[in-house]
Amino acid sequence: MSKERNMKHKKMTRKGQLQMTETIAILFIFFILLLFGVIFYFRYQKIAFQEKQEELLGTRAMESTLKTLFMPELICSRGEAEPEDNCFDVLKLNATQKIMAQYLDEYYFEIFSYATITVQETYPGDKTWILYDKPKPEFTRKEPTFFVITLRDELAGNNQPEYGFGYVAVTVYS
Amino acid sequence: MIYRKISGKSSHFVRDLPIGRKGQMELTFNWVYVLIAGTVILLFFVGLVARQKVISEERLSGEVVEVMSSILVGAGVSEKTKNFIDASGLADYTLYFQCQDGVGEFGIKDKPARTQNSIDPIFAPGEVHSSRIVTWSLPYTMPFKVMDFLFIIPGNVKYYILGNDADFVNEFLNSTEGIERVFVSGLEQIEPEENLQVRIIDTGGMINSGSGIPAQLHSFGDSEVSAVSFTGANQVDFYQKKGTSWQKLNHKPVRIISLSGERDAAKYAAIFAADDQAYWCNMNKALTRLELLTKVYGGEEIVYGEAGGKIQKLLDYYKGDISSDCRGHLEQYNENALSALQKLSADASNCRLDSQSCVDLIEAAGMLKKINDKLRISCSVSLY
Repeated sequence: MSKERNMKHKKMTRKGQLQMTETIAILFIFFILLLFGVIFYFRYQKIAFQEKQEELLGTRAMESTLKTLFMPELICSRGEAEPEDNCFDVLKLNATQKIMAQYLDEYYFEIFSYATITVQETYPGDKTWILYDKPKPEFTRKEPTFFVITLRDELAGNNQPEYGFGYVAVTVYS
Repeated sequence: MIYRKISGKSSHFVRDLPIGRKGQMELTFNWVYVLIAGTVILLFFVGLVARQKVISEERLSGEVVEVMSSILVGAGVSEKTKNFIDASGLADYTLYFQCQDGVGEFGIKDKPARTQNSIDPIFAPGEVHSSRIVTWSLPYTMPFKVMDFLFIIPGNVKYYILGNDADFVNEFLNSTEGIERVFVSGLEQIEPEENLQVRIIDTGGMINSGSGIPAQLHSFGDSEVSAVSFTGANQVDFYQKKGTSWQKLNHKPVRIISLSGERDAAKYAAIFAADDQAYWCNMNKALTRLELLTKVYGGEEIVYGEAGGKIQKLLDYYKGDISSDCRGHLEQYNENALSALQKLSADASNCRLDSQSCVDLIEAAGMLKKINDKLRISCSVSLY
């Protein structure tokens, strides 16, 4: 009687061990799948975040170029008349370069944030004006944008302003 | 009786139970186990979904603010243009605009997304809840271009212009096509429309503090009826409905800092600004830029009355030509560009600190404009 009882008892314990192993295996697979899901989700989020960063940088590059082209500090004004499109006043460029450097952190940083803005003359000379230079320390990405402009020099011509050509390069950092 | 151990339990819990109850115990245990585990898993996913909902709402409001910022940047630099923005997608949101201590802020009400700006002046009602928004930019000149003023005009506000300044009334009606506006001969002629807020533009100084509001506007909420009244000497007063009478919002007179003329950006700014505080805060941004611009034209030395910047280039050019009119207009005559620019720089700084001294700034700007015209006629060059 006791032998028979022991046999049954052993059989039952083995069945319990088997069920335990089964439960642990299911839980293990479940957590593995969950881990895969979490890894996949965070990878996707990381890529989406990087794409968004790139998109924002592109937008900021365009906006900074737009703001530069319409800056009253640079535009070719004509008294009370409408200013000339895509034209910078050479006589203002040197002064603006100094003022922007002096008030960079105080004022212009809020307009351009981390960026470099240069005006390059291509005709008749090859002068360069660095208007704004504030690269981001240890930047990971940069986006340069170029725009062709005319450069007006009121004192160069004979009773008529003389026009040159150049481009404005706006580089933004992130 | 046959006894057995409960399977899978540690020896501490080993009990001899009758085999008939074995099934019942295992079944109960399994169901409890499934219920607890299931609830935990369900709660985990419910929490995840709830968190994602909050994140996506925040992200959406952030994107709305971002898109609005881009639209405003574009609108701000596109001189003299009106943009009609279909904001039906924002029908559930209320945009707010405010300006305090020289810092402008706009965002979505009750949402964390917002953007601050201490450079660009935006003149807008305090809150905008409309499916159609008009943005309009006008250049602000003092006397040279300082910056573009951006006006935000919601589609659910109707502007009623009245008063005896016929020139301005005609100019306003001509320049604001696409905006809900109408001329009325008197306050009693106003026929308000349902679902449209009322903004009265009084060009003749007819509205006074404490005076009665037309009976047809009594049913409107206090925040839905406001007025701006232009009085003599380039001044403006802001009013808000309070019960059945007008409440003046500004304690001190608000001066319009401009050289007048057509499309006067500072005057239009008063029309579209929420109140005197928002108006002055945004005007301060323009005055800060004006100070910087005087340094571009006159150099950093202009504050001491010495030449620098663009004016120095012009002086250098005419240096050898001692008797020239150009040099005279630039620095030798009684009314010359250098001293006018110095006065403009000093007055811009004073005006920013004390609005009462802005009259001097207007005079200085007028003087510089006169000298610049003379320079252009006699020398074919100009300061600006």
